[in-house]
Amino acid sequence: MHEQSKEFELTAEEAAALDEIAGALGRFGQERGNLIPILQMVQERLSYLPPRAIELVASHLGMAPCEVYGVATFYNQFRFHPPGRYRIKVCLGTACHVKGGDIILENFERKLGIRDGETTPDREFSIERVACVGCCALAPVTVINETVHGHTAPSKVEGLLLGFQIERERKEREDKKHADGESQDH
Amino acid sequence: MHPPDTQAHCFAEDSPGFGNGSLIDENSGKGTVALETITLTINDKVINCPSGISILQAARREGIKIPTLCDHPALESVGACRLCLVEDKGGRLMASCVTPASEGQVLKTDSPRVLAHRKNIVRLLLAEHPESCLVCNKGNRCDLRAIAASLGIGETNLYPMPHARTMEQANPFLVRDLTKCVLCGKCIRADHELVVVGAIDYNRRGFLSRPETVHERPLEESTCAFCGTCVSICPTGALSVKNAHFVGTPEKEKSSVCGFCGVGCSLVLGSAAGRIVEVNPADEPSTVNGPTLCLRGHFAHDYLHSENRLTTPRVRKNGELEDISWNDAVSRVAERLLEIREKHGPQSIGFLGSSKCTNEENYLFQKMARAVFRTNNLDTSGMAPARAVLEEIKGLKRGRRSTAPLKDLEKTDLLFVMGVDPSHSSPVLAYHLKRASRKGIPLVVVDPREIELARFATCRLQVRPATDALLLNGIAALLREGVNGRRYGDGTTSLRGFAEHEKQLASLDLNEVCRLSGVGEEALERTAKLLRGKRPIFVVGRGVFHQKACRDTMKALSNLSLLTGDTGSGRSWLYAPTYENNEAGAWDMGVSPDTLPGGKPLGAKAFRSHWERAWDVMLSPDPGLNVIRMIREAEKGNLKALYVMGENPVRALPQPEYVTRALENLEFLVVQDILDNETSRVADVILPGAAFSEKMGSFTNMEGRIQRFEAAVPPPGQSKPDLEIINLLLKEMGQASLGGSVDKLRKEIAKLIPEYGDLPSSAGEAWVREAESEGTDPQEEPLFFPIPELKSPEHDDAFPFTVILRSFRAHLGSGTRTSRSERVEEKGWRGEVEMSARDCESLGIRDGDRIRVVSPHGAVEREVKIETGLSSGLVVVPRAFGDNDAMNLFPFKERKESNFTGWITCPARVERRAR
Ligand code: SF4
Ligand code: SF4
Ligand code: SF4
Ligand code: FES
Ligand code: FES
Repeated sequence: MHEQSKEFELTAEEAAALDEIAGALGRFGQERGNLIPILQMVQERLSYLPPRAIELVASHLGMAPCEVYGVATFYNQFRFHPPGRYRIKVCLGTACHVKGGDIILENFERKLGIRDGETTPDREFSIERVACVGCCALAPVTVINETVHGHTAPSKVEGLLLGFQIERERKEREDKKHADGESQDH
Repeated sequence: MHPPDTQAHCFAEDSPGFGNGSLIDENSGKGTVALETITLTINDKVINCPSGISILQAARREGIKIPTLCDHPALESVGACRLCLVEDKGGRLMASCVTPASEGQVLKTDSPRVLAHRKNIVRLLLAEHPESCLVCNKGNRCDLRAIAASLGIGETNLYPMPHARTMEQANPFLVRDLTKCVLCGKCIRADHELVVVGAIDYNRRGFLSRPETVHERPLEESTCAFCGTCVSICPTGALSVKNAHFVGTPEKEKSSVCGFCGVGCSLVLGSAAGRIVEVNPADEPSTVNGPTLCLRGHFAHDYLHSENRLTTPRVRKNGELEDISWNDAVSRVAERLLEIREKHGPQSIGFLGSSKCTNEENYLFQKMARAVFRTNNLDTSGMAPARAVLEEIKGLKRGRRSTAPLKDLEKTDLLFVMGVDPSHSSPVLAYHLKRASRKGIPLVVVDPREIELARFATCRLQVRPATDALLLNGIAALLREGVNGRRYGDGTTSLRGFAEHEKQLASLDLNEVCRLSGVGEEALERTAKLLRGKRPIFVVGRGVFHQKACRDTMKALSNLSLLTGDTGSGRSWLYAPTYENNEAGAWDMGVSPDTLPGGKPLGAKAFRSHWERAWDVMLSPDPGLNVIRMIREAEKGNLKALYVMGENPVRALPQPEYVTRALENLEFLVVQDILDNETSRVADVILPGAAFSEKMGSFTNMEGRIQRFEAAVPPPGQSKPDLEIINLLLKEMGQASLGGSVDKLRKEIAKLIPEYGDLPSSAGEAWVREAESEGTDPQEEPLFFPIPELKSPEHDDAFPFTVILRSFRAHLGSGTRTSRSERVEEKGWRGEVEMSARDCESLGIRDGDRIRVVSPHGAVEREVKIETGLSSGLVVVPRAFGDNDAMNLFPFKERKESNFTGWITCPARVERRAR
């Protein structure tokens, strides 16, 4: 598992959301029993639990940050990396597991150089494992953002990532075109 | 003048602290109160025990052994490992550590079913464990290995599936190899319940779970204080001590006492090939520290084998130090000292005894000075200890000595902590205070800085330096208003000075108190409210005693304590921690210019004759010079010779250059020490002494506990125990009969100093006894001291900041020893100067910039660290770093002189150095 989570720099929106969260904490009492609802609130607003949020919550409840972290990591629902632009969810439900979902997961991990639960430093891709997503007939299944990709095989993993790469490059070119105002192509 | 930063915070009385560890009841070990006796049967033996204890405890009381991995008497039981299974009559298996013993139970601890299950649990643990016992640092101290062996488990015959984790050993203190962790959780409970830090906790779950820091960061990026308590308590090799020069298990273990701070933790010193290779807490319930230690005690004792140890006697010849034989060294010292005494008289020789040496050594040292040289020029080179201040104030008798176990702090109504940052200076004291606060005992913390303890405080008063006395008087004035019309008990109102004190309080201008002290009125009121109806114990440190106005502060504290109704003499209301391992003992043994052994005034003829009869000599009635005056007389050429035992005045006193010059001006300087240091470098003769681990002796800690210990290893090279050296000298001077063995001196001390009557007895705990009352001295009756007028603290525009000295947990005192610890050096703490964000901004200073702090007397140059929570106007300089150059900032003055600024704060200005 991730031995040490890299600290992602907060985006402007995230920093603003964090300020709001700091204000919203006041609505929760200081009893430890509020920890989970608070963490859920934070994750709802930020999509993950950055280190600074954990510190905030810990000081609100008078707990040590490692205790908050310990509780948060106990549950699968909490994330510690921001979701990537492409949020890759590999199904490891029973059917997908039987059909080699773990091989697919491993493929994504190796190709992207991150582990399940993590995000690439450029925040482009994140990988998570999920339980049955309800289309077992297509096992093994990968859901990327809202799109379901059935019968994922290692070759398909490569294809998917290549597709995103091409799409991204095209987009970058277009952005550049817009920015420069005139075509550089011949 | 800087605008006041009113930073007084008060939290609700049930202010949250992290962790929920309910704490230990000292007798039963666990939190329950014994009610009645019950009878049960364990392994066919009928036993009686109090109800409310666990089966495991009941079994242990009878000497019935049950293996455990996750249980520790000082920790809450959690039932994590299930090794402690027992079976009842109905065939039920249960974890004995978390199952209460109850009437009529019939239990087996080693039935075939129990054994089978126990074996399986251990097999499963081993299947998950790497096979690295042979090279494991924990070696013979590993409980897992011992239990497996005792159950006869060699091969597990299971598919091995260790959960490999990278080993963490970047820090120089401890190695975390969590692959070896069995998830017993002892480290976590030790961290939360005992040392109350909260650096680690379980993360994740199932196989993946580990005791981890937040975000699995390395320990040095967490709040870990490197106290090593988790390392000693870990039953496996998951947490072990990092040793640069040694791998394996110590060959021998010997109990001893920590040689650093005034807590005096009980230790076990593990040695191999004549070196101390491991230090662990003795872990006995009766000790001051139980299973805990601090960074210094655990890891900094590696200084004992530093290359800088002095190992041969040396003498200065033609300006250079050369090795000589012991015989020559001793005869040279005796000859020169006697000669100087003959020529210039007894006042021309001075003796610095040691707050680090043993009671027996200090006793004999001062006896030599007084009986052979007839001088009272005796002192240590520490700054005046609290006792010296308290002795001066008539009417403070009831507070002069605190003899009570630190544990008792957890039994009081309220703790009022002032001018001490125990998390750094005396960590085990901090553990007790933090635990007390977690137990629900209200805690008031008064300090200009936001110290760690303040996080646990019910009321926190961030007072401006040098305004403590008026803050206390302000609280007293509010206390005066009383509750429900009922104010004080008769004991209080009939005391001397009560009426005048009342009048003064009534006319105290509270707005002015708040303005000057920087503490808000609301905080003051809350503190007074908290104090009402309670009898606090005041824990007061050198932040008060080293202040210029310390006497005013002590008087105000005493008044406050009397107002709370604490007029009796039974329990001590005051706890003044000592900062060095034998500061208390050195004082008690009479290493002081104006007090005799036992702390008796030299000026009183009756006390002098006691010692004159005992030693069969005439004593000089003239008070001697204290250390400051000795150095000054040396500089002037009036003091001709100085004998320094186990102190490093050049590094410890203000103005090191001046001190060096003064010492160089002496005709003869003898330095008896263990390390090559700033003072030994200017000596004429060096006598290599032995460290505490290499000799027999006793220390007296801040509790008044007298702790005896024996040598664990021999002294290195030709060095000798200090007592032996003094004996050699006495013999050379034809005075051998004054000295003698440790045993002989213990008997002599016990006979002559009634407070030390316990010293020679070989068994059990020894405590400094309360002195018998010497008749009633009307001067010593408790009284209300008059309140001095309100005065603004002095201010000089050229030096607009106030420097505050602070301690840092890795170093002790001036850092002579701790800076020789390889581990501490390797960690590379730089001792940054702390300043507030606001001041840094207005001076254009960024975090990490180099600055120069300049006082009227000298300067230090350091990196700056911006400290949120620090009031503006303050500059915090840590002691002991950079050859303890912080002492450059202070004038070479003593308390009774004019222009004395204290030894804790001074005015300064700050200059930024080029980036
Ligand atoms: S070394 Fe001390 S502070 Fe650090 S984790 Fe262990 S017990 Fe806690
Ligand atoms: S590190 Fe040691 S003490 Fe901590 S849980 Fe693991 S085995 Fe137990
Ligand atoms: S330095 Fe003090 S607190 Fe630390 S181990 Fe030694 S005696 Fe204990
Ligand atoms: S198991 Fe993967 S979709 Fe059902
Ligand atoms: S000792 Fe009882 S469960 Fe571990």
